[in-house]
Formats: sequence, C-alpha cells, structure tokens
Amino acid sequence: MIPESEFENVLAKKYMRTEIMPHAFCPGCGLGIIERIILMAFEELGWDEWEKTVFVSGIGCSGWVPLYFRRDAAHTLHGRALAFATALKASRPELNVIVVMGDGDSMGIGGNHLIHAARRNIGITAIIATNMLYSLTGGQMAPTTPEGARTQTTPYGSIEPNFDLMELLKAAGATYLARWTTYHFMQAKNSLKKAVKHKGFAAIEILFQCPTYAGRYILNKPDPRDMLQWFKENSVPLTVAKKKDPEELKGKILVGEFLHRTDRVEYTEKLKELEKRAKGG
Amino acid sequence: MYVEPGIHLMQGDEAIVEGSLIAGCRFFAGYPITPATEIAERMSRRMPQVGGVFMQMEDELASILAIIGASWAGKKAMTATSGPGYSLMQEGLGYAVLTETPIVITDVQRGGPSTGLVTLPSQGDVMQARWGSHGDYGIIALAPSSAQDMFDLVIRAFNLSEEYRNPVVILADEVIAHVREPVKVPPLEEIKIVERRKPSVPPEEYIPYLPDPGEWVAPMPAFGEGYNMLVESVMHDEFGHRIGTDHAAAERTIKRVYYKIEKNVEKIAMYETELMEDAEIAVVSYGSTARTSLRAVREARKLGIKAGILRLITLWPFYDKIIEDIASQVKAIVVPEMNMGKIVREVERAAKGNAEVMSLPKVGGVLHHPDEVLSVIKKAAR
Amino acid sequence: MATVRVSQIAVSDKLCKGCYLCIWACPWNVLEISEERNWRGVKKPIATKIENCRACRLCEYYCPDFAIQVIVDEEEEKKLLEVEERYEKPWLRRIEKRNEIVSRGVWWLES
Ligand SMILES: Cc1ncc(C[n+]2csc(CCOP(=O)(O)OP(=O)(O)O)c2C)c(N)n1
Ligand code: SF4
Ligand code: SF4
Ligand code: SF4
Ligand SMILES: [Mg+2]
Repeated sequence: MIPESEFENVLAKKYMRTEIMPHAFCPGCGLGIIERIILMAFEELGWDEWEKTVFVSGIGCSGWVPLYFRRDAAHTLHGRALAFATALKASRPELNVIVVMGDGDSMGIGGNHLIHAARRNIGITAIIATNMLYSLTGGQMAPTTPEGARTQTTPYGSIEPNFDLMELLKAAGATYLARWTTYHFMQAKNSLKKAVKHKGFAAIEILFQCPTYAGRYILNKPDPRDMLQWFKENSVPLTVAKKKDPEELKGKILVGEFLHRTDRVEYTEKLKELEKRAKGG
Repeated sequence: MYVEPGIHLMQGDEAIVEGSLIAGCRFFAGYPITPATEIAERMSRRMPQVGGVFMQMEDELASILAIIGASWAGKKAMTATSGPGYSLMQEGLGYAVLTETPIVITDVQRGGPSTGLVTLPSQGDVMQARWGSHGDYGIIALAPSSAQDMFDLVIRAFNLSEEYRNPVVILADEVIAHVREPVKVPPLEEIKIVERRKPSVPPEEYIPYLPDPGEWVAPMPAFGEGYNMLVESVMHDEFGHRIGTDHAAAERTIKRVYYKIEKNVEKIAMYETELMEDAEIAVVSYGSTARTSLRAVREARKLGIKAGILRLITLWPFYDKIIEDIASQVKAIVVPEMNMGKIVREVERAAKGNAEVMSLPKVGGVLHHPDEVLSVIKKAAR
Repeated sequence: MATVRVSQIAVSDKLCKGCYLCIWACPWNVLEISEERNWRGVKKPIATKIENCRACRLCEYYCPDFAIQVIVDEEEEKKLLEVEERYEKPWLRRIEKRNEIVSRGVWWLES
C-alpha cells in the first residue's frame, strides 16, 4: 500500500512541479482537468515530444496551467502570450510551442495577437480555456460571456453578444480548430495530439468549469459536478448539430473538430525559404 | 555578411543596424513609426542575410513581447520605436526586467506628448526610460550623439544586456538617426562581444534566479535546453515560483533587479569630457544636444571663458559621482536639453548645492542654437 | 462481479480538495465521502466498495488535482515508485540548497 499523506497521481510525479502543489485553483476547478488533458496527450505522444515542448501563457487563472509542469514555461502578460510565443516559434521552429490562454486573455486584451497569429498560420498550438468570464479578477464580463448573463460588471445582464472563437479563427486563417469541454477530456486529448503535430496555427477551445464564478453567477451551479453534468447535457457534437436547425441549437455548446486545413504553408517554413532568397540561394 | 572594416559614410540608423548584427542580434521585431521606421526597414533586408529573423508585428505590445520571447529562445534581440510605441512597450519592459531578460530597445525620440511632433527630434523620453514601467527596477540607458555612437553603443548595449541580464535602452533622436557621417568599423576581432553565460551545472542543480556568490545574475539557459525555466511575470523566488506570502523572497528579487544595475554604476557609466581640466563652467549634455553644446563651449573658450563639457553617454544608471566631482570644481553647471528640463533634476541632486545648476530647456522640435547655450554660459560666467 | 482486482485507490492527503468529481465520475459507486478530514479540513473520498472497481480510471481523469490514483496491482505500485525516483525526486534536492544559501543571507541585501 502506498501511503496517502504526500501522495500524487503518477502523471503529476512524472510531469509536474509537485513541490508547489496542490495548485492554487479552487476545489473542482476545470483547469486541473485541462492540465491532465495536456499531460495525457504527451503520455501518448512520448517523452521525446515532451522534451521539445515549451509553454507560454497569459495572465488569468488559466495562465497558471502550464506553470505546474516541469518544463520551460513563460507566464507572460495579460493578453501577450502569443506575441512571445510567435517569436519563440520563429526562432526555434523545432520546438512544440503550446500557449495556454484564458478567454478574456485571448479574445479580449489579446485579441489582436490572436487573429494575427492565425493569419500568419504560425505553428503554435493554442489552448483557450473558456469559462465565460474573467475569473482571476473575480468574475467580470468577458468577450465570451453569453448575452444576458449576469456577472460582477453586468449586474443587469450583459448587453453584448459573445464571440464565437471557432468562427473568428476560421476567418482569421487558422488551420486546425476544435472545441471541447472538460467533460470531453478524451476527445480534447485526441484533438490536442493532432494539434501538436499539425503544421500551422492550431487552436483548441476548452470550456471548463469555474464553479467559483461562472458556476455561481452565470449558470447558477456552484457545484463543479453540476457544471460537468451541464456540459454533458448541453453540448452537441458538430456532426449532430449539422442535422438540427439553429433554433434547437440556441444555448448549446457545439463541440468537435471544426477545421483541419492543409492547404496553407506554415509561417516558419516560409521564413526558411525567405532566408534562402535573402542569402541569394 | 557584415559591413567591411574601414571607414564608411553611414546614416545613424544604418550604423545601428550594422552594429547590432555584429553584436550578434539575430531577432528583430518592430512596428513602423517615424523616425524609427528606417531601422526596421533595414533590418528586414539585413536580418535574413545573416540568418536571423525579422518580424513586423501587429503592434508595439507584440514587438516587445516578441523580442523577450526570442531572447528566451536563445537569440540576441532588439526592437526600435519612438515615443508612442515606447509608451506601449512599458509593461513589456517591466516583464523583461523582472524575468531578467536581455533585450535592446532603441527609442528614436520624437517630440511629445501623444502623437506629438512626428518628424522632429526631442529628448523628452529620458525620464520615461528610467521610470516608465511600474514598480522598482534598474535600467540601463545610453544616449548616442553621432552615427559612430549608434554603431558603438548598440554593441555596448547588447554586451551590457547580456552581462546584467537586463533591458538596455538606446535613447537616440531623429537627428542622430538620420545624420550621415563617417563611421569607423574596426576589424571584427577587435570588437568585444559578450556572449550569454549558460549554466554549467545539470538542470536538477540549477537554481534559475540565484546568482553564484558575488555575482549579480545567474547564467541563463534557453528554452528547450532541459532547464525547465519559469519566466514568471508574477513576483517570484529564486526558482521562478510565485512567492505567495513569502515577503522576504519578494524583497530579495526586487532588490536584486534594482541593485544589480544601481550598484554597478561605476562599471556601466560612460562619459566624455572636453576642456574640463581648468573649467569653471561645465555644460552637462547628452545626445544630439551635446553636439551644439560642444560648439558653444569652444566659442566660450574663444571669448576667454573657462568652459568645459561633460557628455553623458550612459544616462541610466545615473552616475552621481562624476557630477559631484564636477560640482566641486566649477562655479556653475549648464544643462541644455530638448525637453522642459529633466536630467537637470538629477544633476541638481548630485551636485548637492556645490555649484549653481542652470537648466536650458528647448521644446518644439528644434535643436538648441549654439548661441543659446553660449549666452547661458556667459551668464553663468558673470 | 468485477473482472479486475484493484489493490488500492489512493487519495492524496496533500492534494485532495474535496470536490467529489471522482465520485460523480465513478460509474460503479466505488467511492464515498469519508468521515475524516485532511489538513485542509476536507473529507476525502474513500473506496468503500473497491471490489466494484473496474479500473476504468474515470475518477482519475476527472480529478482536477491529481489527487486520486487507481493502483491495480503490485506491478503498478512498483511503476509508480520508479516514476517518483526517476522524474520527481532529482528535482527536489535543489530546494534545500536554495534554502541553505538564502538562510545564510544573500549578498545583495547587505548595502
Ligand atoms: C494589463 C492588465 N490589465 C488587467 C489585468 C487584470 N487581469 C488579470 S487576469 C484578468 C482577466 C482574466 O480573465 P481570463 O483571461 O478569462 O482568464 P481566467 O482568469 O478567466 O482564466 C484581468 C482583467 C492585468 N493583469 N493586466
Ligand atoms: S476562480 Fe474559477 S477559474 Fe479561477 S481557479 Fe477558481 S474555479 Fe478556477
Ligand atoms: S476506476 Fe472507475 S470504477 Fe474504479 S473507482 Fe475509479 S471511476 Fe470508479
Ligand atoms: S476529484 Fe480529486 S480532489 Fe476532488 S474529491 Fe476526488 S480525489 Fe479529491
Ligand atoms: Mg476566463
């Protein structure tokens, strides 16, 4: 029998900075599941892939996700993770660069970098952790907050429509797109494996339970179990959604692989070619 | 690959590009802004020729984060901008400071505030260079006065940034960026280049933000080398781990990023003096203003006034001692600046009342006329 | 009834925050809330019906805190200790080294 006092799950022992755990997330917070999704993907991709993987994140609860990994990680500024990551990838194309951002981080303050990273089709894997609000600052409206939802800054209900990340990035030029929830950890892990191997800008949006704020304010479900149950019951796979009319899909979460394009050349490939031309080769 | 050794007629912005390539710069990110655009344009042509990466980013917020990212990728990296862009970079600059990331930022100053005097020179950003980002930190800022300086100082800037693992700012201005002058390029082997110090211990023994005894900064690995770095913008301890409530760890980190620059001022400070041996009036000047000041001082000598000049090359950390020494020698110190009087405050403080300090501000986008400086020298001599 | 014999379902005192997502996730009602509280005042889940466990590991997958682990047999227990030895332990030594250096007083604080 293994003693339980200082015990950690084997994935944590292998991949994480156990000396700074338990992590700072609230009980039941889905960000821990996102960590697990990432680590499970790398269990399958193999240690060699892990060794050439580096992480970049922004500011927000979600920005903490990669900081617990025993791996190179940059905890940058609010909104700026992709700018850091772009240069990292451009300088060292052989690295897997994974960026973890919050929904506010990526689509609010960092929206400009997001669309331009997609436009460049630079080979970065972006994981966008969506909880439908700003949680680190205490539950204010985000660009993903559903219209009508009450948050700390929309006490009368939000009057702003929300972004659809998949549509946004499709238009901007991303070449791999998927959306899952923490309920769909297996599917998310499979998408992540694909995204890491994908040559081009790949984004995976993962809706996660933030019981503390989104649970309390938006969904009226402060228990993480209820939130996961809600994800389970309210998500519709793309394949199924195609057969339904838009009215039926109101308020539902569309999940699945939204895009997988191979017709656009990745940015660092072009950089290499440009260098050859500049050198007169 | 590099500009040939010898004497070349070069513009300031050309000199800074060629100098930075020789210094080892292999990543440039920028966003067009007058009067710094030419640097980016030249970089876009030259950088791929030496195997580096040039990127035009979506804005200056991205530019500074990009060079920080490139630095952690193991590259020497630079950006160039002007007032409005430099303002946007302040948060990123603080990030570089706290994570001890070597980067070089060239601010080709133009008149402000705001969009301001787009095409005209200024020295309005000198205080922003010191205090622009929030919190306490040390910073190195160098002020070139000629195209030659642009070449020499950018190399020095890269060297200092590597040595102290800190951002270094080059405070140029429109005049210096566009002036076309002979620039002497020494043979490569005569140019001192500081390379990044890498850890010598295995990753499990390496403590990322703990310098060896007596040192100020720890060696710096690149991402992907197995050292599992945490480049943490939140206040962190020696591992890069967030300090939580460990106030002592926070104090250690803050004091080190402050003192590693401030306490090494003797090593970092560069200045030039001319005609100071017997001077009774000193002009303390920097950047393009130093050029007019020197002419004024020579004119004053012709009139029999014992004037001399101290040209500050390193503006930050501010070298109090040289001002203190001069103040105990001269009667008055004249400080002409293309702003409403900024460095003069430092001069006044360091002079400790031992000499009269006279500010000579100039705004609106023109250099001082040497006669303006001369007339204040005359007044001081009376 | 179960086809697998699971030797232990370890729940970490250090990590468990008592969200009970593991209990929610378990299709076989293996887990229950225990009576004892851990250091953070949380009543950990406990495998009261371990004989029902089929080692599907859903409890592990949904635990956000890496607190729970299904240990099927000695083989798995051994593997776990190997991982600890190889991947985790080497990194823990530098903490003492840092503490020792810092406790002696660092040079840049003496002005
Ligand atoms: C420039 C700047 N503005 C504001 C903040 C304060 N701030 C920190 S995190 C955050 C929002 C986080 O929301 P999100 O990105 O959705 O991440 P979450 O915490 O929800 O995971 C804000 C506004 C900041 N750190 N920096
Ligand atoms: S506030 Fe929400 S997102 Fe942040 S740690 Fe708590 S549950 Fe998670
Ligand atoms: S492994 Fe499956 S059956 Fe066993 S306790 Fe966990 S969830 Fe229940
Ligand atoms: S899911 Fe994990 S943290 Fe939550 S109660 Fe179960 S073991 Fe504890
Ligand atoms: Mg959020």
